[in-house]
Amino acid sequence: MSVVDPFVGAVDRAIRFPVNALEYTNILLTTDDAVVGATQREVVWTHRQTTLYRYRSSDRRYAVPLLLVFALINRPEIFDLRPGSSLVEYLISEGFDVFLVDWGYPDEEDADTGLEEYVCDELDWAVRETLRASGAEELSLMGWCIGATLCAMYCGLDRGVERTAVRNLALLTMPIDGRGGTYANWVGNEDFDVDGVSELWGSVPGGAIDFANKMMKPVTNFWTTYRRLWEGVQEGTARPEAYQSMAKWVADNPPFAGRAWREWIRLMYRDAGLLRGTVRLRGRLVDLRRIDQNVLVITAGADHIAPRPGTMPFFDLIASEDVEHFDRPGGHIGLVAGSAARKELWPGIAEWLAQRSGG
Amino acid sequence: MPDRQNGAQSPEQQVRALYEEAESNTAKAFEALVNKPSFGQLLALSAENTAALTRIAFDGVDLLWRNLRLAGRADIVRLSKQLHRNEDKLERVLQEVEKLRDEVTRAREHDREAAAS
Repeated sequence: MSVVDPFVGAVDRAIRFPVNALEYTNILLTTDDAVVGATQREVVWTHRQTTLYRYRSSDRRYAVPLLLVFALINRPEIFDLRPGSSLVEYLISEGFDVFLVDWGYPDEEDADTGLEEYVCDELDWAVRETLRASGAEELSLMGWCIGATLCAMYCGLDRGVERTAVRNLALLTMPIDGRGGTYANWVGNEDFDVDGVSELWGSVPGGAIDFANKMMKPVTNFWTTYRRLWEGVQEGTARPEAYQSMAKWVADNPPFAGRAWREWIRLMYRDAGLLRGTVRLRGRLVDLRRIDQNVLVITAGADHIAPRPGTMPFFDLIASEDVEHFDRPGGHIGLVAGSAARKELWPGIAEWLAQRSGG
Repeated sequence: MPDRQNGAQSPEQQVRALYEEAESNTAKAFEALVNKPSFGQLLALSAENTAALTRIAFDGVDLLWRNLRLAGRADIVRLSKQLHRNEDKLERVLQEVEKLRDEVTRAREHDREAAAS
């Protein structure tokens, strides 16, 4: 390296700056054009805001269908982010008959939708419709984030002598007890008038939820992401399609139905009702000790939204004999939807399901 | 020069490393800051105020709108809620019909098998 090299590099960058700036701006401005959730699907059932989709596999090898359930915040398209980086696409290529619950965009008229509507009606009916559409008697349920908690609640619900049709339960980055985290510092205190806020807003705007999520790591979310993209553009290593699909998904924030939101805050950040077995939905007790399905729990080492310690008590509660735990490095979303997931996590999930989805 | 050949960083790389360290430290400091209960209180109060202001603004506009004898947001929400109730009832009726249809199908199959044997 000669002494003039740094100067040559600086001049080169200065010359390329306008082009890079244009490319960077173009990536940011065309983010909305990114293709998200492109896998072909059909509508199986709708009720209120909820839609059940089916992704048919042309090479179906497993009798037990898989029902995917995402959180009440953000959109379920994260399961099908973009072609080549889609868990749904991967699972149907592995021969699974995949269904997906989409909670839609709750509005002011859905303000009175609570967790019991989500668990006892929407999820229960989605399970029913999945079984009817697939012709199966049992299914696998895979929940992510709040969706995982809803699935666990669904399986832990008191049904008397009746059994659920859930054979396998896969729970990705699931919060069970959120009292130790940053969220709890914000909303766990009784001073925060959760009833007042939800009543005033009706349904809590998605933008407010997104802002709170981003504020947990403000520098990373408001600065580092954009700085890294700029560096990628400068170095020629930026992957616009990867950035744009994720950015588009992150920016798509449906409102959180007011009643469900305040119940969630109490359940997760104040009472830890699931741990104590005090949660009742439609008068029926939710007791996680009732869960006896084959269970797969996936936790992420760097998860700041549902930190691992908030999931671990789940293992002490459930009655399942077949329990597996994948604990991997990664964040709350990146663990399952990141670029490394296709090699490092999805094959493990598919294998776990395949071993339990025959006949 | 010999130092750099041995893996030492160029001035540019050193500047970048320093910057990234500073950014990482800032990020940690901010994360510690937002994790404090006092920040939580600030955020909670801001959320409450924002929600209240939004409601006041919406109600004001809605009042004006409805005084013009036009359907306001409250009317649309009320209608949507009625639609929801109807949809709930229809869903339950549909499920009952499907259950009955399944039962009838099973009974017919049973009769057919009995007749065949």
